[in-house]
Amino acid sequence: MNSFMCGLLGWLLLAASCALGAGAAQAHPHVWITATSELIYAPDGSITGVRHAWTFDDMFSTYALQGIETKTKGVYSREELASLAQTNVESLKEFAFFTFAKADGNKEKFQEPVDYFLEYKDAALTLHFTLPLKTPVKPKELALEVFDPSYFIDFQLDDKDPIKLVGAPAACQLKIQRPTDGTANAQKLSEQNFLSGDNSNYGAMFANKITVDCP
Amino acid sequence: MRPTSGFARALTIGVAAAVVVLALDSAVHVLMAQNPFGGPRPSAEPQVRGIVGWLLSKQSEFYREMSSTIRAAKSDGSAVWTLLVISFAYGIFHAAGPGHGKAVISSYLIANQETAKRGIVLSFASALMQSLVAVAMVGICAVLLNATAKTMCGAEKAIEIASYALIAAFGARLVWTKGGGFIRALQAPQALPAMALAASAPHDHAGHGHDHGHHGHSHPHAHVAHRGHEHRHDGHGHDHAQGHVHDEHCGHSHGPVPSELAGPGGWRRGFGAIFAVGLRPCSGAILVLVFALAQGMFWAGIAATLVMGLGTAITVATIAVIAVSAKDLARRLSGASEGGGALIMRGLEFGAAGLVLLFGVGLLFGYLAAERVTCL
Repeated sequence: MNSFMCGLLGWLLLAASCALGAGAAQAHPHVWITATSELIYAPDGSITGVRHAWTFDDMFSTYALQGIETKTKGVYSREELASLAQTNVESLKEFAFFTFAKADGNKEKFQEPVDYFLEYKDAALTLHFTLPLKTPVKPKELALEVFDPSYFIDFQLDDKDPIKLVGAPAACQLKIQRPTDGTANAQKLSEQNFLSGDNSNYGAMFANKITVDCP
Repeated sequence: MRPTSGFARALTIGVAAAVVVLALDSAVHVLMAQNPFGGPRPSAEPQVRGIVGWLLSKQSEFYREMSSTIRAAKSDGSAVWTLLVISFAYGIFHAAGPGHGKAVISSYLIANQETAKRGIVLSFASALMQSLVAVAMVGICAVLLNATAKTMCGAEKAIEIASYALIAAFGARLVWTKGGGFIRALQAPQALPAMALAASAPHDHAGHGHDHGHHGHSHPHAHVAHRGHEHRHDGHGHDHAQGHVHDEHCGHSHGPVPSELAGPGGWRRGFGAIFAVGLRPCSGAILVLVFALAQGMFWAGIAATLVMGLGTAITVATIAVIAVSAKDLARRLSGASEGGGALIMRGLEFGAAGLVLLFGVGLLFGYLAAERVTCL
């Protein structure tokens, strides 16, 4: 009976871990983006929009270029990439451009992207586009998050100067929290999820959080 | 040994309950997780740090190494071996992490009294099909038609939706067949009026014929009830229900006739599982194939995809075998007991069938958004 019990216990644990494993089954990234972003300020100190420059990984860049005709092999001009850039921004709309802004706690909406184009350099595609805010805001605290809730895409802020404030009032302070910043961040996130149910998505744990405080 | 004590019975019930609760919990969890309007996800945070976090990071590591390895293989032939090793490892880790394939296959195996051997065959066949679909897709779209990524991703999405619809249909069929067994098991312990019996009877005419013949007690009135649905013989109905209990949990060693299920019909059903799961190519494989093609190394991409599939199959087969063994144990424990044991088994099967349906519907309607291809 003893060995029988042990076996049973083993199976129970295995079954449980399998079930939990299924529960934990989540996406993993297939695309990696290295992001730099600029927050654009109007002369009166209000924020008018966000300008992104997203560089795709080697593999996805090549994939995206499949079937694109060029004059010179391996060289892609901005014009030759125009239709792909168009496709990109149109597709991104479905995902809210993976850009989530809050001004003093209120969610802000973006307009259709403008000034978008693709650049091909060092075997990598970089998508440039500007997201104007529906209405410019002048908050005490602006929170900007860049992430894919389904975590199909992994966003990483560039190592050097990933966020620039363009024309911001001098007193504004920029803070950046990368997803790898450590446990405090994750802890806070989980509490947030627990309490508010807001951001109840997996990718949020890999979000890049940017805050700008303008006293 | 056959533990027939009440203790073993209680344990069985405990095991079954635990499995069902955990399975349901995980299903709900998965469903809620990606629902933007779903509830909070309190357990989200530990997942990233724990085993899953490790799986994710390993997987990403292998995946990201693939592109540089393919590039290297252009000039250095030995890098192809590195590529194959990385792909194999990626396949193993990939299947251990996200993905509906193993969940669907395991649930199907549990619902259908399948053997571990068939579980392994199904896992390998579906993984092979998945690889071949990816190769065929890139071969046709990119190599023959020189289609753009947009077109290819569109095709991928269409195949994906078809695959999810198939899983849902497959699950619905399982629920339909297993529902009959479960209802009968539910009704069996009580003395039934013939009415209820007649309602469930159409599901299992063959089974009746078989079992009755086997035990040598023929019930002519039962046949009357089946054919004519004459509900006036309450007494007969009662008798029949009793006989039915007898058949249903198969105290007789021939069990719930696994041979019947593994027969031609069973394999055809298994083919349904292979097709439903294997139809959807892995986005990672498609990216690798297109990348390899662009490097003029399409063959290396194909080799990587097949090896990836092999790795995936090993993981899925392992999980499938665990699922089947767990169920076998539950069956052994409850095998000889009266109604309750049969009820648990039928309930388990029904629950597993429901899980397949739930996965299919969840995937189809995008609740499991994590498993959707993102076209950029």
